[in-house]
Amino acid sequence: MDPPTLDPSACLRSKKTRKFMGTQDDLAVLAAAGALAQAGLTAEALGERAGLFAVVGYIPFNREDIDPVLANSLEGEHFSMARFSAGGFQRAHPLLTFRCLPNMPAFHVSANFNVQGPYFVSYPGVGQVYTALEEARAELDSGRIDIALAFGVAHQRNFLVQHHFSRVEPPEAPDTLWDAGACVILERAEYAAGRGARARAELVELTQRYTPHSAISEQTPQREQATGVPLREGARGPASLFTLLFDALAKGHSGEVVHTVDTRDHLSAQSRWRVLS
Amino acid sequence: MKRRVAITGLGVVAPNGANVPEFLDALLAGRSGIRAVRSFDTASLPTRIAGEVRGHYGAPLPDRKIGFALEAARQAFAQACAFGSAPSGRGGLSLGVGLELFSMADLAQQHSGRASSGSSLERLSFMQTPSDLCAHFLSHAHSLSAPPLLHVSACAAGSDALGAGFRRVRDGRADFMLVGGTDSMINPLGMAGFAALNATSTRNAEPERASRPFDRGRDGFVLGEGAGMLLLEPWQAALARGAQPLGELVGYGNSLDAHGISEPHPEARGAAQAMSRALADAGLAPTQISAINAHGTATPKNDPIETLAIHRVFGQHAWNMPISATKSLIGHLISAAGAVEAVAALVCMNAGWVHPTLNLDDADPACDLDYVPRVARRHAQDYVLSASYGFGGHNAAIVLRGAEAALAAG
Repeated sequence: MDPPTLDPSACLRSKKTRKFMGTQDDLAVLAAAGALAQAGLTAEALGERAGLFAVVGYIPFNREDIDPVLANSLEGEHFSMARFSAGGFQRAHPLLTFRCLPNMPAFHVSANFNVQGPYFVSYPGVGQVYTALEEARAELDSGRIDIALAFGVAHQRNFLVQHHFSRVEPPEAPDTLWDAGACVILERAEYAAGRGARARAELVELTQRYTPHSAISEQTPQREQATGVPLREGARGPASLFTLLFDALAKGHSGEVVHTVDTRDHLSAQSRWRVLS
Repeated sequence: MKRRVAITGLGVVAPNGANVPEFLDALLAGRSGIRAVRSFDTASLPTRIAGEVRGHYGAPLPDRKIGFALEAARQAFAQACAFGSAPSGRGGLSLGVGLELFSMADLAQQHSGRASSGSSLERLSFMQTPSDLCAHFLSHAHSLSAPPLLHVSACAAGSDALGAGFRRVRDGRADFMLVGGTDSMINPLGMAGFAALNATSTRNAEPERASRPFDRGRDGFVLGEGAGMLLLEPWQAALARGAQPLGELVGYGNSLDAHGISEPHPEARGAAQAMSRALADAGLAPTQISAINAHGTATPKNDPIETLAIHRVFGQHAWNMPISATKSLIGHLISAAGAVEAVAALVCMNAGWVHPTLNLDDADPACDLDYVPRVARRHAQDYVLSASYGFGGHNAAIVLRGAEAALAAG
């Protein structure tokens, strides 16, 4: 979902952790909170039998975070290691590291919702969401867990991610990049039935293909499609698939939803979902 | 039907060894790879030492961890294919990989209006080199056609990469897997970032003595860099193609602390869960583990909690096992740590030794186990557990069986 405000304070077990959170962490916690509430699951029900499968977008850096470092690290127009180490690096916000590491959304979700089970934390796009889904399905099938929180988050409206997408072929305009986070709760069917949960959707089929390629010379545009419900406009990175499912449920769609993607990194994937009214 | 998973190839690029034989020799000799940083001027950074890899490894992009990974993978495939045919079928990659390389020099260039407008390679790496490119270079180099698994679970990523790849081979979801980790945080932002967190040792005058896991005088970890790669394939398929198994990966478990952002659970819950899950996955009793390759970062908080976790899982048997901390010799390789340490554990087990924990001169009373201080020791081993515990509460453990025990099992 794209929440209207990004304040996850109400979801935090300890308000002290708020200062460590960046946008991607806010998105992850809010998305997980919404999905868990919809599933009727509380932190007490999670613990060791719940796993976490997360995909996070490219590392975000806000211009206002890095500019003070740069301003105190220049010698003329050039970067000076002497100036940087003499003081420039100390101009970085002391909590900056916490706010941009790709494993931090997984930490905040696990800590606030008591997820202690197996995990898979990956990066950076919707193609990897399919590998995360496959890992989640394998863990559920193995019986090692009953519940899987699968989520994708992307903090893309910042200068570094916008810079990245301006370089790929074809470039993505900054205003097409959205910040987004979305989460689905997957359960073993017997477990869900046992607790009287109402299934909202079923993952019917998941396929993936990959073509090894030269990452420099063989860039291709990303193509993403959906049937059943429309994809939102703009790029939502690893949040796009689960945002689509969110929209299907929010709009009361009943029937099949199919998501297909051919990514820049030559992953082709499709998932077929049966959405129940 | 679960399949046995053979390890048929190993590759390593480490601060104290450019390949597996060199690495093993350095481990057993207690030769440290930690020195004053040479790759850039650390000027007056609080920490000016690291476990740097010596030599240059060519790569398509100027990100050192890509070159390390390509070289370690080359070694692993060369060893795996030294006898018999090459592994066949659909291969995949499971890679623990470090953060995107962010260039302050490029940022300064952009700031002054002199942004790169060069080749696609230059544009792609200008200011930031996305880490996922490393996986695609590896997959391309070795024609790995399964979608790559990228792990960014911080210091646990290397062990997670081994574990996830192991499960894919064991469960029949892949015909073979290249698994491992690669990282280099020895750059201005990386060094400064960890220093700002007061996480790294400032024992700059004595680089080789700076990484001191379990020692009372430890003052933080020392950054290292490098890569470790292993080739995994079904045991029967490996034998059928004439390969010589170097060992077996038999179990994997991981867990989330769900506790503090930078401190481990005070009762070592997550670390104990990861080790217990790995043992259960392997179908082993704690008493069957012959030795442990510890995470052993040499941070004040980690080492006692890791010790507590070992006590909780192994009970009385904790006193019977030698425990080695590879980071005492090479520093903390972050996302590559678990993979390189797995290589260390396996080659030492196959050699019939445990490598020393360097600089353990005065053990912390809260760290009361046998950490093999200073000198390598002869020790027969059937199974070794290797553990990694990451910033943010990610815990992973794998169990390895040595070549002799694996071959004896048929």
